[in-house]
Amino acid sequence: MANVTESMEAHGHEHAAHPDFLQHHFDTPDQQFNASKLGMWVFIATEILMFGGLFCAYAIWRGLEPRVFDDAHHFLNKILGATNTVVLLFSSLTAALAVRSAQVGKRNATTLFLAITIACACVFLVVKYFEYSHKIHLGLLPGHCFGHPGFSAAIQNGEEVGTCLRMHADSAPVMPQWVKAVDEGGKAQLLSPRANMFFGLYFVMTGLHGLHVVVGMSVLLWVLVKNVQGRFTPQYFTPVDLGALYWHLVDLVWIYLFPLLYLVGKPE
Amino acid sequence: MSSENSHSSPASVRAAAHAPHDDGAVHVHIASSRFYWGVFAALIVLTVLTVRVSYYDFGQANIVIAVLIATLKASLVAAFFMHLRHDKLFNTVAFLGSFLFLAIFILLTYDDLGTRGKPESYTGILVDPRSGQAAPGGEPATSATTNDLAGEPPREGARAGAKE
Repeated sequence: MANVTESMEAHGHEHAAHPDFLQHHFDTPDQQFNASKLGMWVFIATEILMFGGLFCAYAIWRGLEPRVFDDAHHFLNKILGATNTVVLLFSSLTAALAVRSAQVGKRNATTLFLAITIACACVFLVVKYFEYSHKIHLGLLPGHCFGHPGFSAAIQNGEEVGTCLRMHADSAPVMPQWVKAVDEGGKAQLLSPRANMFFGLYFVMTGLHGLHVVVGMSVLLWVLVKNVQGRFTPQYFTPVDLGALYWHLVDLVWIYLFPLLYLVGKPE
Repeated sequence: MSSENSHSSPASVRAAAHAPHDDGAVHVHIASSRFYWGVFAALIVLTVLTVRVSYYDFGQANIVIAVLIATLKASLVAAFFMHLRHDKLFNTVAFLGSFLFLAIFILLTYDDLGTRGKPESYTGILVDPRSGQAAPGGEPATSATTNDLAGEPPREGARAGAKE
């Protein structure tokens, strides 16, 4: 603490008086910490605006096609969605606890909580993988393949055709089709080709979110390595704090994605 | 809220950090582990609630209820896990500011969609419902100009289902 006071008196230009972690252009650790945090919050604001474009598209298409959205959302599994919600909320808790441990200087606890957070992120992605592959097999992948059970042989017009991509190569006109499939409630559904739009939004919104999960995992892994190397102290834990903020943002987005995609609509 | 107050750096200490004898060191609010677990428990309760509620049909209110519960959850995460509650106010302003601009974006988009195909009240210019274009510099809406605008064959559900 004495170092810090000295550096303040010297207007922060005495390198010897600076703690290692304090950048030259900051007067005090406090100033550096607050500047970093503000920068992170501005970044979070831009992230919200990016996701906001997709939420706007969702609101408009839902308004235009309420019935199609209603039918289509029954193809999402509420239980898997809720499981992933709990996993992400728990990982947010452990991220917050990792920051707390760093604040009080418990290095091993920080390592443990960061490891649990990363493990939860893995669980989330595995559940997402099963959800995605199930939808693709039902032929719910948006685009010209919509309605053609994907990546496997499909029966169409009485003759066996290859995958959707091969049909496309044959230059036959391939259009989104009606989907005949059993939804998550066990009910056989006939889904309009226009449900294409719902699944387009589903895959893009959860896909962009999934990308954030992967980035968040990488950031937290980097923080974990630095923590094991003993780079953080109660006076300098900014990377732990900002890494956790990013992770909480991932959680925040999912908090809205889950009800809007999985839950809203008429129950069967 | 009582467990929230059992932190090692009470508000008075935080205030001292900004007093004249500021030592320049990092002073943060440190909540107890128990408090974080409490927030987590509240989040789980709200998650269970939103899933349970989705098995009942409230008609138009479905989406309102879902978004309200989600907002409550998001507020808990932002205020406590993300420390906004004890952070510099300006960080909250930056965060909430993004929602203000998002609202402007969404309102203008809705305004565009909602006014397509209607003659603009001041100039009487028609916006073509099929293309959504023709407003700037367009002709007043008469039968002749609406015919011009219909140069393209009408497509089924052109506005809503432009993809097909």
